[in-house]
Amino acid sequence: MRLRARGIVPGRASGTAIASSAVFSFVGGVDPANGSILDEATGIAGERLEGRIFAFPTGKGSTVGSYVLYGLGKRGYGPAAIVNRRADAVVAVGATLAGIPMVDRVDVGGLLTGDRMVVDADRGSVELPDVKAKRVVTAILRNQGRILIVRRSEKVGTFRGRWSAISGHIEGRENPRHRAIAEVREETGLRGIVLRSGGDPVFARDGATMYVVHPFLFDVPSRRVRLDWENVEHRWIRPEELHRFDTVPRLTDVVAAILGPPA
Amino acid sequence: MRLTRADRHLLDEGTDVQRKAMGILLTVGRLVEAARLVPITSAHVSGASYKMIGDPGLEFLEDFAQTARVSVPTTVNPLGTDLAQWQELGVPPTFAEKQGRIARAYEAMGVRPTFSCTPYLLGVRPGFGEHIAWAESSAVCFANSVLGARTNREGGPAALAAAIVGATPEYGLHTDRGREPTVVVKVRTKPHGMDYSLIGLVAGERVGDGLPFFRGFRGTEEDLKWLGAALASSGACGMFHLEGVTPDARGARVKGLKSITITRDDLTTAKRAHSDGTEADLIGLGSPQLSAAELQRIARLVDRTPPRIPIWVFTSRIVRDANPDAVGIIERHGGRVLADTCLEVTLLEHRFGTVATPSGKGAYYLPSLCKQKVIFDDVEALLERYA
Repeated sequence: MRLRARGIVPGRASGTAIASSAVFSFVGGVDPANGSILDEATGIAGERLEGRIFAFPTGKGSTVGSYVLYGLGKRGYGPAAIVNRRADAVVAVGATLAGIPMVDRVDVGGLLTGDRMVVDADRGSVELPDVKAKRVVTAILRNQGRILIVRRSEKVGTFRGRWSAISGHIEGRENPRHRAIAEVREETGLRGIVLRSGGDPVFARDGATMYVVHPFLFDVPSRRVRLDWENVEHRWIRPEELHRFDTVPRLTDVVAAILGPPA
Repeated sequence: MRLTRADRHLLDEGTDVQRKAMGILLTVGRLVEAARLVPITSAHVSGASYKMIGDPGLEFLEDFAQTARVSVPTTVNPLGTDLAQWQELGVPPTFAEKQGRIARAYEAMGVRPTFSCTPYLLGVRPGFGEHIAWAESSAVCFANSVLGARTNREGGPAALAAAIVGATPEYGLHTDRGREPTVVVKVRTKPHGMDYSLIGLVAGERVGDGLPFFRGFRGTEEDLKWLGAALASSGACGMFHLEGVTPDARGARVKGLKSITITRDDLTTAKRAHSDGTEADLIGLGSPQLSAAELQRIARLVDRTPPRIPIWVFTSRIVRDANPDAVGIIERHGGRVLADTCLEVTLLEHRFGTVATPSGKGAYYLPSLCKQKVIFDDVEALLERYA
């Protein structure tokens, strides 16, 4: 699959990904002598940057990070490319000094360490040759501060028994918004639903499949839900309770993308 | 970003360093979605203290200095120690040696060796509406607010790139819209002395990266220097307006803005919140470096009430050299007047544990950058206490 991205530092590179789920500082986060990751919060401590595509949400920390990245690049220990959700000036300037191609506006939560990737900052794209995209919609239904979650039945194809929001596959060139409205009607039987907003897609990974989740928020006038065969159980919960449930991948991020981060 | 023919020429035909500098400006421009580069009349670069930038910064600067030359008048921030007095301060020789190399690298690039956070006290006074590229948050705040010049809060390498190219991406505080206030701050007490630092600290915490429009008090240029330095420390502010005082305040649109109030109680609370020490082993005056008038005043105060603990007074080399009498008085009472460096970028942690200071910026950064506890009070009160 190919993702759209924003080119920050020109160039093109390919390699395998090294992905951090945590924001990253090149000051203290990496050994400047050899490019091995020191920061435990990244989940990839001990891995080395050399020749890899380094994906992390965004940079943090002092300007010295620019110089560290420059030094790593000069000695050949720097990453082949950098992929961010949101580029910050310290990392971007460092990547420029080191001549390391860099893109942002990619949801790095869908990238896994070990993914083969091609980053093209000139055209603004990231390619994952071994990963197939499946476009889905997820509808967050809201009623007086609570949101609806449903437990997937044993008859569905994926994520059986896990908690999810109302969701469904987008077929071909179908408009995601139309699909979301149709799914809410089919799976809940609710009427009088009001579409409030849509959010940027969230990437949820399941092995070689990348679910490109288009999130939508609906206000619904009633909590009386009539489930179809796809789901066996439902609950109306407060958004901050979501972490207590065994959910489909990144449901918390999908909810945050549409309602803001949990309080 | 739209490039002029001259920009394009530098990118295609320039030296390696010029192309790299242009690359930095284009990267920053893409990040902020700037429409073009705007020519600048001066630059001020940060990233000169070895304590702050370490070996990675030294390596970059020495590499860059082999061919880089600035194209506009450029000054540079304080170093990690006084180049003439480091031995008496107990600074390790390797630290001083590397610090000297950083200083020489900047000089080789054609940067004026001011080693000061107050270029505006050293003859660099950009006029109203002039575009400049300054790093050093306190100087940025002063230039935008008090002088009416236009600069964003540049990072060290971006300011150096701007100095080499002679231009910077046009966005934020370079534009009329970016200089409009976002919040009105009413001050309901008459400030004097360190109150300006306190107002800055309190306002910075409350407005974050907003642009405050102050009303309800007045202040001299020096007062506003302390206010701006503190504001730029606790907040991400690069500018403020003060009604009836600062040049951009006239014509600023405040109608419909959110309004907050700062009272005497707020200042007292902030003062307490930033004082966590019990007994100081150093009085540190600076951050930003003192002006000539401030240095002379401190000399008079020290002469009247000499402290029994060490007192380090930070100023620029130019001001130190021009005021031998004031320096002589402070030294006669056992104090030191340090040049080339400043309070929280200098090496303190090898000798001291608690610093007493009236500087809001100092009180804000000493705990993290120098591992110091802080006693935060007016200079007169500190001299009385440690007499």
